[in-house]
Amino acid sequence: MNLYLPIAEMSVNVLVLFSMGAGVGFLSGMFGVGGGFLMTPLLIFYNIPPAVAVATEANQIVASSFSGALVHLRKGTLDIKLGVVLLIGGIAGSAIGVVLFSSLREAGQLDLIISILYVVFLGTIGSLMLIESLNALRKSRNPDAAPAALPTQQTWIAKLPFKVRFHKSQLYLSVIPVLVLGMLVGILASIMGVGGGFIMVPAMIYILRVPTNVVIGTSLFQIMFVTMFTTIAQSATNQTVDIVLALILMVGGVIGAQFGARAGQKLRGEQLRALLGLIVLAVCIGLGWDLVTVPSELFSLGEGGGH
Amino acid sequence: MLRILLIFFVFILPPFAAAQTKPSVQIGLSNETVGITSSFDGTEIVVFGSIENGEKERLKNGKYDLVISLEGPTDFTTVRRKEHKFGIWVNGLSEQFSDVPSSYTMAATRPVDQISDAENLKILEVGLDNLNLVPVGKKLTAEQTKVFRDSLVRLKISKGLYLVDIGGIEFLTPTLFKATLTVPANVPIGRHLAHAYLFDGGKFIASQFTTLEVRKKGFEQQAYDLAHNHGLIYGILAVLIAMFTGWFASFIFKKD
Repeated sequence: MNLYLPIAEMSVNVLVLFSMGAGVGFLSGMFGVGGGFLMTPLLIFYNIPPAVAVATEANQIVASSFSGALVHLRKGTLDIKLGVVLLIGGIAGSAIGVVLFSSLREAGQLDLIISILYVVFLGTIGSLMLIESLNALRKSRNPDAAPAALPTQQTWIAKLPFKVRFHKSQLYLSVIPVLVLGMLVGILASIMGVGGGFIMVPAMIYILRVPTNVVIGTSLFQIMFVTMFTTIAQSATNQTVDIVLALILMVGGVIGAQFGARAGQKLRGEQLRALLGLIVLAVCIGLGWDLVTVPSELFSLGEGGGH
Repeated sequence: MLRILLIFFVFILPPFAAAQTKPSVQIGLSNETVGITSSFDGTEIVVFGSIENGEKERLKNGKYDLVISLEGPTDFTTVRRKEHKFGIWVNGLSEQFSDVPSSYTMAATRPVDQISDAENLKILEVGLDNLNLVPVGKKLTAEQTKVFRDSLVRLKISKGLYLVDIGGIEFLTPTLFKATLTVPANVPIGRHLAHAYLFDGGKFIASQFTTLEVRKKGFEQQAYDLAHNHGLIYGILAVLIAMFTGWFASFIFKKD
C-alpha cells in the first residue's frame, strides 16, 4: 500500500512506516524513552531526506510526549516550575538549532553532523547505561554488598548564583545549570530530531539531583513544548515537516507504546536498562561504521539552491 | 529557450527557404498533465507521432532515426564528493552545475552516437552525455569537472530520474510511431518538455516539442501549498494534530 508524501515528495509504503512507528513505539513504551533517537536514523535509512526526517520526527514526539505528560500531570509527578525554567532554555536552544540546521544544510555538512552527534551521544549514553545496569545486576545477585552511596550535590553547581526554590522537587538550585541543560537539549531536538530525554533524564538525576519520581514527567513536559516550538519553527523556516509521514508514525507509535509498556512491566529495571543500553550502542556502532568505512558511493547530490 | 532558438536558426530556418515539403515530425502525448495524488506511484506517458513527408522508400526500410526525450524542469544541482579526513568520510570537494534537468527520459531508435555525429548531438543536447550541464564553480580542473558531471548523471540514473531506452520507439506503420516513457514516483513537479528529433542518414532534419505538466492534486496540493506559503500556520496545525493524537491515545488506553 503506497502513499505519496506531500512534503518529502516521494512514494512510501504505509505498512513499512507504520511498522517502524509501532516497533519504535514498542521500545519507547517498554523503556520509557521518546524513541526519536531510533526513529530518525530509521527514517534516513528508508531514504526519507534527513532534513524531512528530523523535522517530522519532532512533530511525532509532540504526540507521544503530550500523551505521556498528561498521565504525569494527573498523577502529580511533574514539577511545572522546574519544567518552565528548562523550557525557557529549551526554546532558545531550539531556535539556535533551527538556524544551525539551515546553515549546515547549505554547507552540505548536515548529514555528517547528524551522524557524528548520534555516534557521540549514543555511544556515551549507551556505554554508561550498560555499565551502570550491569553493576546493578551484579549487586542484586550479591545482596550482602552495601548499596552505593548517592553522591553528594556537586559543589560547583551549589556555588552558582541566581538560586530558586523548586518546591515539588525539594531543591534550592541555581537556574543557570537548568537553563543550560534545557538549551543543550533544545539544540539537539532541532538538529537531531530527538526529544532529548535520553540526555535530560540522566542529567537531571546525576547533575541536578532532581528526585526520580518527578524526573520523567518534568522531562516530558519540557520535551513536549520544545518539540512543539521546533515543529513550528522548522515549518516556518525550512518547510520540512511532513504531516502525512508524521501522522503515520504517530498512530503506529502510540499503539506500539501501549504493548511496549505492558511488556516492560514483566522485566526488571536493571534488565531493561541493560537491554536499552545494548540497543543504543548498536545504533551508535551502525552509524559510526558508516562514517569510518569507505562509502560505496563517494558522491552525493544537493538539489536547488543557486547563487 | 536559447537552445530552441539555436535549433530554429541553425537547422530549421535555412532548409525552409529551399524546399517546402521537407520531412518533419509531429508528436502528441497520451496525457497532457500528470496529477500527483496520494496514491501516485509513478506512471507512463505514451508519446504518439508520425513522420510527415518522408520519402516512401526510406520510410519503408526504416532509414529515418528518431529520438524522443522528456525533460523535467532545470535547476542548480550541487555534486559533493566525500573525502577521508581525520579518520572519517566527510563531504569535501563540490561543484555546482546549472541548467540540470531534474529528470530526463529518452527513447531512441538506435544508440545516439550511431544516429548522428557528436557535434550535432551536442547542439541538440540529445543523450545523457550531451546534456549541457554548466559548471558554475569554475574552481575545478576539466578532468575533475568531468568526474563530477559523470557522477551527477550516475546518481540521477540510480534515483530513476534519468533513463535511456534504446530501441524504445515502436513503429506502428512506416510513418506512425509510439514510445512509452516511464514517469518515476519521484518525478519533479513542474513543466516537462517532450521533444522528438528526426534524423536522416546522420543529419538532423526536424524536431517538435510539446509540454507535460506534472502537478500535485487535491490534498497533496493543499498540504504542499500551505507548507510553502503559510509555514507558520502549517506548523501550528501539525502541532494541534499531534496533540490531538496524543490526547486521544491517552484517552483510549487509560488504564483506570
